[in-house]
Amino acid sequence: MNWTGAVRTIIVCAILIVLHYTLRPLLAWHASIDFLVVALLIGSVRLRPGTAALYGFLLGLVSDSLAVSAFGAAALAMSVVGFAASWLKAVFFADNLALNGFFLFLAKWLFDLIFLLVSQRASGAELAMQLFVWSPLSAAVTAVAGVVVLSLLKPLMEVRTA
Amino acid sequence: MASAARLNTRTDAALLAGCVVLSLIAIALPSDAREPISGALRRTIVAPLVGMQRGAERWRSAWATSDARQAGADSVAMRAVNAQALVLENDQLRKIIGLGSRLKWGFVPAEALHNTTPSEELVTTLTLTAGSTAGIQRYSAVVAPDGLVGTIQTADPTMSIAILYTHPDFRASAVTADGETFGMVYPHTSGGRSAETYMLELRGVPTRVTLKPGTVIYTSGLGGVFPRGITIGTIVQELKTSEVWTRTYLVRPAVSPSRVTSVLILTAQRITQGTGNVWGATVNADSATRKIAAAGDSLAKQAAVLEARARMAALDSVRRATIDSVTRALGVPTAPAVKRDSTRPDTTRPPRP
Repeated sequence: MNWTGAVRTIIVCAILIVLHYTLRPLLAWHASIDFLVVALLIGSVRLRPGTAALYGFLLGLVSDSLAVSAFGAAALAMSVVGFAASWLKAVFFADNLALNGFFLFLAKWLFDLIFLLVSQRASGAELAMQLFVWSPLSAAVTAVAGVVVLSLLKPLMEVRTA
Repeated sequence: MASAARLNTRTDAALLAGCVVLSLIAIALPSDAREPISGALRRTIVAPLVGMQRGAERWRSAWATSDARQAGADSVAMRAVNAQALVLENDQLRKIIGLGSRLKWGFVPAEALHNTTPSEELVTTLTLTAGSTAGIQRYSAVVAPDGLVGTIQTADPTMSIAILYTHPDFRASAVTADGETFGMVYPHTSGGRSAETYMLELRGVPTRVTLKPGTVIYTSGLGGVFPRGITIGTIVQELKTSEVWTRTYLVRPAVSPSRVTSVLILTAQRITQGTGNVWGATVNADSATRKIAAAGDSLAKQAAVLEARARMAALDSVRRATIDSVTRALGVPTAPAVKRDSTRPDTTRPPRP
């Protein structure tokens, strides 16, 4: 990834992070869009797995700083998701919006799975409800939003293919 | 080449392991140790994001409560309008109660229902919630605290219809406050001018009489429909007519028909016996006032006459004393015809031995 591509990616990720803290509270949906996961994936597919894990860790720390009760859970989940996204991009990722959407869906669901299990916020039926109802819904909404964002920012993005 | 790839893979794995370990340490940290770290992040790197999130949540809450606030504002506005209407109605009811307490007897209170249709530009009739069972008859006078409203045209058992002074059939005999100038009040045809829609005309005023603007006119009691002394309105200006021997004046009514919500209907007995000085008219009290003024004038005149006589008597005494002293000094014999004042001692001659 050249410098121009890196700067563009940083700008897009910054926009997504800002959207996460502006548009998401404004919408206040129960199954909300996770723009941080979108930003994580857009960045991770352009980084090496280790660097992507570090990027996810830092992004997770930012998220954790506003959720004191589960401090570290988002960092762990995003590290794993970032590493996985960067490692798997060579296998699965292609310049296809539908595949990107599915990739986003899986990433968000995996993030919620790790986050909910590690943070121990819910248990039993409530955990099952979160994992199998709200998390897939949120993952679907995030995937749709990610696809829309990728479509809008396609001219700016320069996807590195394996 | 292969060793470089292996190195990269190991580096990646190490980084992942480091991140995972750090995350697990963060999770395992006690809350006392977590708070300084998260607090430092919130105050530095995350501070702008926290600010944006706070602003977004404010926008969200403002948007979510905007309907409720709009509804609240509408409710307040409606209450304010209702309160204003209630204040006006309360004021009218207070006046009605005051008028009723002044009249004491011989009236029927009623609510006035406006039955103006949209096509009707001028309010000429009112439906009243009292009828013949309450003693109301045709031509009963309808009054309000401010003055004359109209007269009953139709009296049903439970309701009645009154024509207002704006009705073409309305007539009332009028008199000025001094009780000297009479005329007949008619509804004024404005000719399309909305400013003069609810005005009256005082016709038949003798040409020798000139009424000033602001002169209050009252019912004269002539004709038997209205008792004497109900306020009709005030003179605005003279109207130019073809009449030679009489004048016509434009009169501003004391009562606004659109604001009438409660009225009193005078019974026939009350009309016969009069209402007295209920509307503050000086028509009935005028003669007494003039008599009092005249009596005051006569007393003053009598005092002035007495004072003048006393002054003349004093001057006469001085004049006589001066003449006596002068004649004595000159040795002129006094005329025997001059009579002395028998009531006063003669201090001019020495006393006899």
